[in-house]
Amino acid sequence: MAFADILEALLTPSLPILALGILIIIGAPLLLHIALASSSTYITPPTVLLLGPLASGKTSLLTLFERGTPAETHTSQSTTSVELNASTDADSKQSFRNHDDTSGTHTKFILVDTPGHGKLRNLAFGKLERAETLKAIVFVVDAAALSEQDVLSTTASYLYDVLLLLQKRAADKSKTKKSVVPVMIAANKMDLFTALPATMVRTNLEVELTRIRATRSKGLLDSGVGMDDVGSEDQDAWLGEYGSEKFSFKQMQEFDIDVDVLPGSITGEEGTGADKWWWWIAQKIANA
Amino acid sequence: MLDTFEILTTSGVVLWSRTYAAVNPSVINNFIADTFIEEKSGPVSLRESQSASTNPAYKSDQHTLKWTTVKELGVIFVVVYRSLLHLSWVDKLVDNIKTIFVSLYGEQLKKPHTTLVECAGFDQYFDQQVNELDKTSARANGPPVPNIEEPGNSGNVIDSGDAPAAPGLTYRGRALHNGAGTADVASTESTPVPTPGTSRPSTPGGSNLVVGKAGPGGKLSRRARKAKSTVPAPVSSGDDISKKAAKGKKGRKWDADGFADEEDDVQLDYSSKNALNSDSEAEAPLARSSAVDAVDSSTWGQQSKGKFVLRDLGDEVHDILASAQKSSSTPSDAKSTGLLNTGVSAVTGLFRNVVGGKTLTKSDLDTAMKGMQDHLVRKNVALEAALRLCEGVEKELLGVKTGSFESISSRIQSAMEASLTKMLTPTSSLDLLRDIDAVTKPGVTSLKKPRPYVISIVGVNGVGKSTNLSKICYFLLQNRYRVLIAAGDTFRSGAVEQLAVHVRNLKELTAREGGGEVDLYQKGYGKDAATVAKDAVTHAASSGYDVVLIDTAGRRHNDQRLMSSLEKFAKFAQPDKILMVGEALVGTDSVAQARNFNAAFGTASLDGFIISKCDTVGDMVGTLVSLVHATNVPVLFVGVGQHYSDLRNFSVKWAVEKLLSSSTS
Repeated sequence: MAFADILEALLTPSLPILALGILIIIGAPLLLHIALASSSTYITPPTVLLLGPLASGKTSLLTLFERGTPAETHTSQSTTSVELNASTDADSKQSFRNHDDTSGTHTKFILVDTPGHGKLRNLAFGKLERAETLKAIVFVVDAAALSEQDVLSTTASYLYDVLLLLQKRAADKSKTKKSVVPVMIAANKMDLFTALPATMVRTNLEVELTRIRATRSKGLLDSGVGMDDVGSEDQDAWLGEYGSEKFSFKQMQEFDIDVDVLPGSITGEEGTGADKWWWWIAQKIANA
Repeated sequence: MLDTFEILTTSGVVLWSRTYAAVNPSVINNFIADTFIEEKSGPVSLRESQSASTNPAYKSDQHTLKWTTVKELGVIFVVVYRSLLHLSWVDKLVDNIKTIFVSLYGEQLKKPHTTLVECAGFDQYFDQQVNELDKTSARANGPPVPNIEEPGNSGNVIDSGDAPAAPGLTYRGRALHNGAGTADVASTESTPVPTPGTSRPSTPGGSNLVVGKAGPGGKLSRRARKAKSTVPAPVSSGDDISKKAAKGKKGRKWDADGFADEEDDVQLDYSSKNALNSDSEAEAPLARSSAVDAVDSSTWGQQSKGKFVLRDLGDEVHDILASAQKSSSTPSDAKSTGLLNTGVSAVTGLFRNVVGGKTLTKSDLDTAMKGMQDHLVRKNVALEAALRLCEGVEKELLGVKTGSFESISSRIQSAMEASLTKMLTPTSSLDLLRDIDAVTKPGVTSLKKPRPYVISIVGVNGVGKSTNLSKICYFLLQNRYRVLIAAGDTFRSGAVEQLAVHVRNLKELTAREGGGEVDLYQKGYGKDAATVAKDAVTHAASSGYDVVLIDTAGRRHNDQRLMSSLEKFAKFAQPDKILMVGEALVGTDSVAQARNFNAAFGTASLDGFIISKCDTVGDMVGTLVSLVHATNVPVLFVGVGQHYSDLRNFSVKWAVEKLLSSSTS
């Protein structure tokens, strides 16, 4: 009568049985919670952030990736996001027009568009700081307008802020190891006559970033910065290799931040289109 | 007529647009930047859904833009037309289009992670509205009665007008009826008044006539004409479904006569189906649009098609507008509910206040906003600015659901933080050193000649103009610039000597630390300040100075005589930057000060503020909000002490933190 024995043992108010009961009562919800919580983080898809100054083509790029053709757009006031699928081994892996493609494995990711207007940059920085699963940043610049000093300086100062933030994030040892975020500078509007080639975009930005770095380091301190932490601030606010004469995007590799400059165009024909950018994103998503 | 009508989201994607004459996209971009982002015409940050007539029209050089928004969906409706035209019905058009669009596609807009909205079928709705409104305004003898107001009545009118025609068609010979049909068309075209529908100019009856006109009436094929006169009856009689079905059958019977073929059959099917759709309120908007699509894809005669679609749309659109009208009027009636009901709602309200997920109403917000307003005023924000900020935040929050475990006050706090940040953040980055470099050492490729960079400093008496000027000078000297200080205060005794002392100190400091070079340019007292400034700039250009700092006499902002001399000063000295020094100590008066100084320069305007004496007020830094609120000019520097080095770049984050911190020192 083994069954009766077990039943009897179970119903006897002995200490181990009580302890087991309490353990089950407390443990079951906990286990359930852990199981649910861990699965939910798993679901959160990787994020790719679109940054860049006003009228560089961020929203157009977003709609191009989503629809296959760019939509007409105006100045954005809020962030928006779309869900996309990228693949590195499908037949149409080089193209974003992959909605009907069934071959290969596709990774779902969220592409987030941000407004480029100066007053709304804090929205973009909010996304940048808070995005948990940030896998890549696409910084869109208008290569056709970059030869104008005004556009170049606003573009570069925005890029400077972004890179500095990433650098601080990477250098921050106290936090748990965050995955490093690669940056792609998408030189847009290559189909236009006045567009600078990608290498020129790169050097122009590097020169301007050098200049900004110099003036920022010589500039006044921000209000609210106490006198006691002046020294520590000095080195943190320096983008790239400290004390270097010229800034180059290679210096960002010191912080494991890769910066690539890729040309392309949203409205352009085959070849110069946005496929290069898509391929870059697909690779970063797949690696991560 | 109109140039462009666009429907776009706040994220910048154009959902639907109709262009009659190409408009430079920068017109709408500027409109968005000025109205929504920089809020130049006051706080309009995506207000509660409002009529286009209450929103101020935006004027660019040749165009006028009328607009309205749907806050919760983040959709903007904007129409562009030539400013020369006076289109009285544009407001109405924008409002009606908004209602129709939201009811048809509102669901699609709420989907996350997509920018796609399938609204290809919207063209027809738009055409219908434009035609209708254009026509009503064209023959607006009487007051144009809004067509949405009496849907029931209008249905009756149509019935009485058109119903007799339908039996005629089915029972009698076709020739006779065709004749009647053409007569109908003719009469509507020539004299709209005698038909019963027009007793009310803009009822759907009227729209039917309009529709009749829209098609090329004279050239209609027989079949088309016939079809035209048959179908409207089942569509417009909005009472009984079975009756409609019967009529549909009749039509089919007549079909069998061999007069019309299968395509017409489809047509009739469609029309009765659509009538059913518009009858039942609960029908999903998608179903409607898909019905329209079906029409689109079918392949019947072009002439009859245009008419039918428009006709059906006329009714559908009026149904939509009427139901919208109804639903907007009901909430006010439904407020007075039973005691028990209010008690329950109060309890759940309290609960939701703790747990979150509460939809914010005006009464919820009122007390909390009052608290926030008091808080801001306590932080030395001028009442005017505090009211504007609170109003903006309240409008933004009305109807918003709080997040989980988020109380109302914390929601308001975060909304206010966003609002303040947006207000204080400058549109373009302010890097003084880079600006100076661009002017004094222009690039090799640029065509500009190097010249000294001119900064002039203005302000009310005793706010610290000379002190802040010397602080800026010290900062520039440390960056190894050659600076010339021009003593533009030729009025107050001791002003020139004061600057001379500063210059002597700064010279000594730079000699010790190694830096730039500084000199004083002065012509003594009693001279015209504008001429002194001009001479100083010429002198600086000839002797190779990088920067000219011009001090001016302090003046009371409401003294017209003193303020008027500023315009001449700006014209003579041509400063690159005009900075106004404002005290952190001053209260409500700061708004008037900033406004008057900003207006005093004629074509030029202020480029930035220096807020002095910030160390004396603790975290009551509200003055800078008042100043920015009044002028939309950014704060450049903050003075935080007595030493030459006590000048700081303005940090928005710092200011917002201080303003919202709860401890009031």
